Amino acid sequence: MRRFSDLPLRIKLGSVYIGANLAVFIINIFLLAGINSMSREMGMVYQDNRHLNELSDSLDTVQESMTAYLNSKTSDSLEDYYRSAQAFSDLTSDLNEKVTDMSFSRMERNIKLMSQDYLNEVSQTIEAKRGRNVEKYRSYYESATELYKYISSYIKSLNLEQFVSNSEYYTQLWNAFRTFETVSLAVLFTVMAGNVVMISHIARNMTRPLNRLAGSANEVADGNFDVDLPEVASQDEVGIVTNAFNKMVVSIKQYIEQLRESMEKERNMQEKELLMESHLKDAQLKYLQAQINPHFLFNTLNAGAQLAMMEGADRTYEYVQTVADFFRYNVKKQDSSVTVGEEVELVDNYIGILNVRFSGDIHYEKQIDERLMSVEMPSMILQPIVENAVNHGIREMGGTGRIRLSVYRNNSRICISVKDNGAGMSAEEIDALLKGEHASDPHDTEHNGIGMDNVISRLRLFAGIDDVIEMISEGKGKGLEVIIGWDLPSDEH
Amino acid sequence: MSNIRQRIIPIFTLILVAATLTVGAMVFRYYMTGFQKKENARIYDRYYMMITDNPKSDFWQSVYLSAQTEAGAKNAYVELLGENLKEDYSCEEQMRIAVSARPDGIIVYADESDRMKELINEASSQGIPVVTLYGDNTQSNRLSFVGVGSYNIGREYGRQIFNIIKEKRRLDFKDSESIAQRKAMQIYVLVNTNVQDTMQNIVISGLQETISQENATDSEFSISIVPVDNTNAFSVEESIRDLFLQENAPDVILCLNELNTICAYQAVVDFNKVGEVNILGYYDSEPIINAIDRNVVYATISIDTRQLGAYCIEALSDYFEFGNTSEYYTADVTLIDQNNVAEYLSGEMEP
Repeated sequence: MRRFSDLPLRIKLGSVYIGANLAVFIINIFLLAGINSMSREMGMVYQDNRHLNELSDSLDTVQESMTAYLNSKTSDSLEDYYRSAQAFSDLTSDLNEKVTDMSFSRMERNIKLMSQDYLNEVSQTIEAKRGRNVEKYRSYYESATELYKYISSYIKSLNLEQFVSNSEYYTQLWNAFRTFETVSLAVLFTVMAGNVVMISHIARNMTRPLNRLAGSANEVADGNFDVDLPEVASQDEVGIVTNAFNKMVVSIKQYIEQLRESMEKERNMQEKELLMESHLKDAQLKYLQAQINPHFLFNTLNAGAQLAMMEGADRTYEYVQTVADFFRYNVKKQDSSVTVGEEVELVDNYIGILNVRFSGDIHYEKQIDERLMSVEMPSMILQPIVENAVNHGIREMGGTGRIRLSVYRNNSRICISVKDNGAGMSAEEIDALLKGEHASDPHDTEHNGIGMDNVISRLRLFAGIDDVIEMISEGKGKGLEVIIGWDLPSDEH
Repeated sequence: MSNIRQRIIPIFTLILVAATLTVGAMVFRYYMTGFQKKENARIYDRYYMMITDNPKSDFWQSVYLSAQTEAGAKNAYVELLGENLKEDYSCEEQMRIAVSARPDGIIVYADESDRMKELINEASSQGIPVVTLYGDNTQSNRLSFVGVGSYNIGREYGRQIFNIIKEKRRLDFKDSESIAQRKAMQIYVLVNTNVQDTMQNIVISGLQETISQENATDSEFSISIVPVDNTNAFSVEESIRDLFLQENAPDVILCLNELNTICAYQAVVDFNKVGEVNILGYYDSEPIINAIDRNVVYATISIDTRQLGAYCIEALSDYFEFGNTSEYYTADVTLIDQNNVAEYLSGEMEP
């Protein structure tokens, strides 16, 4: 058999409701039965009086019918007499004949016997009348009438006495009825109160797991998955929900664990990928470096320069020497910061090499403030800017290219301007370049490998501010000026 | 722990509700059974009716109680007939009722009237034994008579009157000069008008005889038989008062029943004749005893009512047991006067 707590909520609630109603209903039935029995008793109180009244009426009828017969001697009145006498006789035969302490019962007995006597007298009267025995029926009539009066009086007395006693009884009953009313009210109230206590108790028992469940759910909502799972006390709907909740909490915990593991895995993968990429880059670099070992190249070029000098080819010697210087700078100043003067010298070498390569197509001018030559700056900045100006400006133009390099001071700021008369750039291109959105082809072998975006980001890192570079072009074909500038260190003021 | 507490609440509630229901049901049952108990009445084998002229008087009540007690021992019930009826009926009317109600026996305060004789004879012809009580109907077929010795009562009264005469002689001797001034003592005997009461006559003859035997001369007393109209309710009192309005006020008033005694006593007090008029009373009810104590009533006759009642039942029981019984029963009579009134006063509670 299933426990009550395991029943479904619907049945539980229903049975509680029905139980409470049933209790009140049964009490009401009992109270009604009590009231019914009392009111029946009360209704019976005056039963005796009613019976006596009936008896009295019946007696009157007998007397009247007798008198009527004596008066008129009609067969109707005789019939009336027989009927009424029979009725009266029936009524009196119901009366009690015992002699007891109770005056009522003795009076009843006397009335009964007197009535029999009376009926006897009356019948004798009637007989005498039928026999036309005038003298006899007169005397019988008188005797009967006398008896009639006595019986009437007797009945009246009994009636009155019974009425008094019945009234007393009625009062008692009435008082009892009032008491009963009070008692039944008290009973009803107690049962109601009991019902309330029971229902609230059961309801509390039913909702307690729900409250516990809600508390646990709130804790889970706050992120604490390690709550004590509410125990399942019953197998009703609440129990089912609690079970489901518990399962859900467990599976959420598992899911989060899985998620964390997979994220960890992914992060590892990414790390590996990045490592691989950097290794690849490293390898590429190594490869590139291995391809042109600067020392080897430098020594080779030095040897070439000596050879040119020995052969008396001064221009060749100078060219090779310039190339050697250019590469030496690369070898020497790979990462460290350099002075503006060294950078400018590199640009000079670079232009010199280019002019040999492209047979002096580039007109190179310098406007240098010599005081700023010792200012420090990151290496490999000016050369890529100049290379950019040559590759994208002048080479695409076709005509005689001009490049002007200016180093000057603007208040507390050092400014280095590289201006060409090349192809120029549109405002959009400049914007894109400055924002680093300019896509450069990493496999472009024509370039020295260091793009403008690299230059810009290194400059920004060096100066510590974003506003380090300015590109001015009046449009396509109108040349481009790139101005880099940063605040001078305070001791240079 | 909390599990136990959880169980305590519903169990306690259930017990409380059950207890309330039980108590309620018990209260209800208690009330209802209390009402249905009235049927347990004693049932008697025999049923006697007692007929008197005034069922409410102390005298008859006392007789009735004694008869009732005696009858109860023999499992018979005595009904004092007039008691339950709302109307007042004369003894004859009650007798008629009794005859037609056919009890096992009738005890009646009879007189010598023809009608009473008829009724008694009718009853005995129907097999109902009739005992006459206190007043007899000698001509009838009554079973027996229970009464007092009226002649003895008369003699007792006579002795008392002679005492009064002797006292008067002494006073007269002291006060008056000549015999001529002496006045014959007026003795009024109050008798009822409407019944031929033989008892009264016997009392009076006993009285007269006693006084003459006691050396009283005729000139010293005169006995008047004063009829008192007792035909209707209040006439007795009026008739007695009338006596005091006459010129010749009585010296001695002899009353032969309780009511007359009380009326005479009250009249003497009202007319301020205490000490002048001597009342010889009848019966020993409380007001009469008190009146003797206060010296308003000279003496009264105490009848043993217990004996009267008991004899009636004895007569009837004897009849039913042996088919016959003694024809006369006489109850004791005692005189109460100043000398012995004290013991009646103290013993008032147990007559």
